[in-house]
Amino acid sequence: MVNRLTANLQLYSALSADDVRVVESLVVSTRATTGGEDLVVEGDAPAQCRALLDGQAFRHRTLPDGRRQIMSFHIPGDVCDLQGLFLGMDHNVTALTAGEIGLIPHAKLAEAMESHPRIARALWRSSLVEAAIFREWMVGMGRRSAYGRIAHLFCEMVVRMRAAGLVHQNRCAFPITQQHLSDSLGLSAVHTNRTLQALRGEGLLSFQGGELVVLDWPGLKAAGEFDAGYLHQSENAYRSESAG
Amino acid sequence: MVEDSSPEHARLIRKLETIAVLSIAEKRAIAGIPMRLKSFEENTDLSREGEAPTECCLVIDGLVCRYKLLGAGQRQIMSLHLPGDIPDLQSLHLGVLDHSLGSLTVGRAAYLPHAAVRDLTDRFPNITAALWRDTLIDAAVSREWLAGVGRRSAHQRVAHLICEVFVRSRALHLIEEGLFELPVTQAELGDALGLSTVHVNRVLQDLRRDDLITWRGKSILVKDWERLRLAGDFDPAYLHLLDSPASYASPEPLRAGGRV
Repeated sequence: MVNRLTANLQLYSALSADDVRVVESLVVSTRATTGGEDLVVEGDAPAQCRALLDGQAFRHRTLPDGRRQIMSFHIPGDVCDLQGLFLGMDHNVTALTAGEIGLIPHAKLAEAMESHPRIARALWRSSLVEAAIFREWMVGMGRRSAYGRIAHLFCEMVVRMRAAGLVHQNRCAFPITQQHLSDSLGLSAVHTNRTLQALRGEGLLSFQGGELVVLDWPGLKAAGEFDAGYLHQSENAYRSESAG
Repeated sequence: MVEDSSPEHARLIRKLETIAVLSIAEKRAIAGIPMRLKSFEENTDLSREGEAPTECCLVIDGLVCRYKLLGAGQRQIMSLHLPGDIPDLQSLHLGVLDHSLGSLTVGRAAYLPHAAVRDLTDRFPNITAALWRDTLIDAAVSREWLAGVGRRSAHQRVAHLICEVFVRSRALHLIEEGLFELPVTQAELGDALGLSTVHVNRVLQDLRRDDLITWRGKSILVKDWERLRLAGDFDPAYLHLLDSPASYASPEPLRAGGRV
């Protein structure tokens, strides 16, 4: 069975066999999660990190007027509250689906980073890419049409899921509902629904049995004016370093 | 403060001390990092999307922003950077810039070679933790702006941004006689907040009329902080400043770290 956490960190830094052994010892316990369960909430000062091993999750905050803003989606392999290592939580992380999380005590993680710099580098890089994703969403909401925003989000999820080995042919699990999309992209439910119909109507994508099926990848990318540069996946400066 | 640090190094140390506790030895080490000083004009690019910088850019004077241009020529400003900030700290670990860095005013920047910064992080895990923490706070600011464009009204967005720059300026000791600088045009505010210039203009007039702020040239005087804060739905927790009572930040030295 693939260790999702290892696979994720290897996207960010070339890990040696010894690094991998250490990463695989980080998770001290696992537990099943249910869809809708809060994994960590605003105001918490967690003493452990949560690695998402199976299922999906999302980050969000509720503003004083009761409206929710979703800030990112998480897929298997992501450490969804790495920020807790250095900062208190200023937002919530909630499970989108049933799944499994692995718990990593901060002390154990700190020790691993101290003795294995590539692990620290991979984690820092992963948090920098997350920051780039927040900025990209900001650009979308500030400047893109509803149509462009939704297409862009689909492209982002597909590219991230593909890197994690979670896209099979042209399909991937897609538990994000229309309500989640609206709360992510600053759109009304009606607007989201109408835009999804347009993307389907143009033959760019479809949904089948909880999966997203990409029917026209170049068309979807063009619709979202999507450039994957901000995900920093093609940079192999670090991966080409010796991992001895 | 380390007595023999240059004013430029002192800016960086002051900035890091707003978010982390540094030892004397760590401050000395920061004071020894090589810097190349360079002036910039207003509205010029300091670096562009797609470039792979080999130095970090520390703002010494002036106001700098990160931005992205969209196909239609529209600009989204994604963050504002004050003296002491390192807006492209991410370039230490992400090779290619995914946005551009531009000046909004004249000013000066100091360039720190990546190799020198890496050497510092190799030797001082607590400096690594402070820099990492800075990048995480930068991400928290981006999330806050994201929530703003997604969910806040034009009034709230403008007031929120003024609150943010005020609190950050205060932490960096950039406030003089109650005045802090926000030398941006209304068009630039619009590009940061996803609003039209007309809309920004109307909100600024309202804030003045309601006696929350006054502009003195390019500086702002906050006349009623409590009402401005309420108008902006502003809670400084996301800035994670050590000296902010509303911050979640722990007063203890930072945990973790590690060589990166």
